[in-house]
Order: sequence, then C-alpha cells, then structure tokens
Amino acid sequence: MNTKIEKGATYSAKEEVDKYRAIYYAGASGDFNPIHIDPEFGKAVGLGGVILQGLCTLGFVAKSVTDWAGDPGKLKRIKCRFAAPVLLGNTVNTAGEVVEINGARAKLALKVTNQDGVEVLKGVEAEVE
Amino acid sequence: MSIDTKFIGKSYPTKTYDVSKDKIAEFAHGIKNPDPHFVDEEFAKKSKYGRVIAPPTFAVIFGAQVIGPLFFDAELNLNMWMLVHGEQEFEFMEVVKAGDSITTSGRIVNIVNKEKLDVISYEVCSKNQHGKDVCRGLYTFVVRK
Repeated sequence: MNTKIEKGATYSAKEEVDKYRAIYYAGASGDFNPIHIDPEFGKAVGLGGVILQGLCTLGFVAKSVTDWAGDPGKLKRIKCRFAAPVLLGNTVNTAGEVVEINGARAKLALKVTNQDGVEVLKGVEAEVE
Repeated sequence: MSIDTKFIGKSYPTKTYDVSKDKIAEFAHGIKNPDPHFVDEEFAKKSKYGRVIAPPTFAVIFGAQVIGPLFFDAELNLNMWMLVHGEQEFEFMEVVKAGDSITTSGRIVNIVNKEKLDVISYEVCSKNQHGKDVCRGLYTFVVRK
C-alpha cells in the first residue's frame, strides 16, 4: 500500500489471534513465560487460560502501521500501555489516525481493541517518516 | 518488599546478537507479518535495502539478551510471580538487516515505589556493527506487592 500521509488520514486493520499464536510467538521471541504457554498455569493464576504476549499484540499494531505506510523502515517510534489481556481466539482491531505532521514525520494516534470493543492497549502512538 | 531505588542507574553487561535471515523469517511469521521485505530474499535484494530486513519489533530479540539478567539479578531480587509488562516504547533509528551484528546494553532508568506496586523502567539501547544506533527500547514493568 502506498498511502498518502496527511493529517486526518485514517486506516484500520484486524488480526485474528489463532489458537497456537502464543506458542508461535514464544518460539520466535523466546518469551516462554508459563502464562503464555500453559493453560493450567494461566487458570491457576486467575487469567482463565493463556494470554498472548503483549509484545506480540504490539507487533500486530506495528505491522498495521508499516502495512499502511508501505515500508517497514518508515516506523520510527511506537509506544503503548498494556491495559487488558488478549486471549487466544480474540480479534485485535487497530484504528489509526494521523494527528500531527511535523516536517517529514507524521504522528498517529491508535486505538487497539478486542472483538468486544475493550481497549487492550492504551496510550498507543506511532511515528512514521 | 519494595524495590530499592538505589538501583536506579544500574547497568548490565552488553551482549551481541548476530541477525540471520532465517531468524527474521521465523519472527515475522510469529507476528503474522510475512511482508516480503522480511521473508522473500529475491524481493529484498531488489528493494532499497538490498537484503532482508527485520520487522521493527524484532528489537525484542536482541533486547531479551539484557532483560534476562535484569529479571534474574539476585541483588535486585524482583518478584517475578508478581511482575507484569506495563508499558513499552521503541524508537527506531537504523533498519536492522540480515547479517548485522547488534550490540545491546541495558540500564535501570527509574524505580517508583507506590503503596501497592513498584514500577521499574529499563532502557535498552542497541547499535549495529557500524556503531550506528538502531533502537532504543523503554521497557516498563510493574511488580505488585
């Protein structure tokens, strides 16, 4: 996608969290914390099962930005607060809007929600250049 | 027990990570992002980067090399059972490419003691083999008391 980056531009993206995603991400990233790979452990600590690694969710969001910007090298900054767990079978929806242009750099505000509209990440910002 | 604020400023030994196109492909599939820049060598050769590049958040891979030593620092003694990842910020400078050798350092930049939890902020800085900054990550962990 070669997107025109201008103030007010918007996009949206969606990612399904498939049943094995936390295991794939554990293998890829090295984050084998039992809350991500062991459903019994997840239940025992009150999470109701395994939860997806927050940095995998942030990876989905970064992908949405670079898909929109058309070049992975354009992402210069991204930040978030991990606000609610993402469970296997959930959907992660990202809605982005360019809120500021400063020279060659554009700042986006992003809303990241699950299938029920719950914000799983908060304070999400990204900058592309 | 609260995390002692005397550890603000503590740094950990630097580590070096050699980036391979195979690890990049594995990570790209892990985050469901099979962008040809990451997984298609022929496409990547013709791109402006000239070879396979890593997704931005691949930074967690070389970052992990200095996060383990923080988590298992006996002197700092974090309660890992009560630790959650609170916030994350990445700044990306140079793009990371297959064949790069990335050197990473970690430093505790803040510790805040609150009534029911502590917050510890860890700055992770990475450079490539040319001495150029590639990424600065700020990892914020929350430890419930």
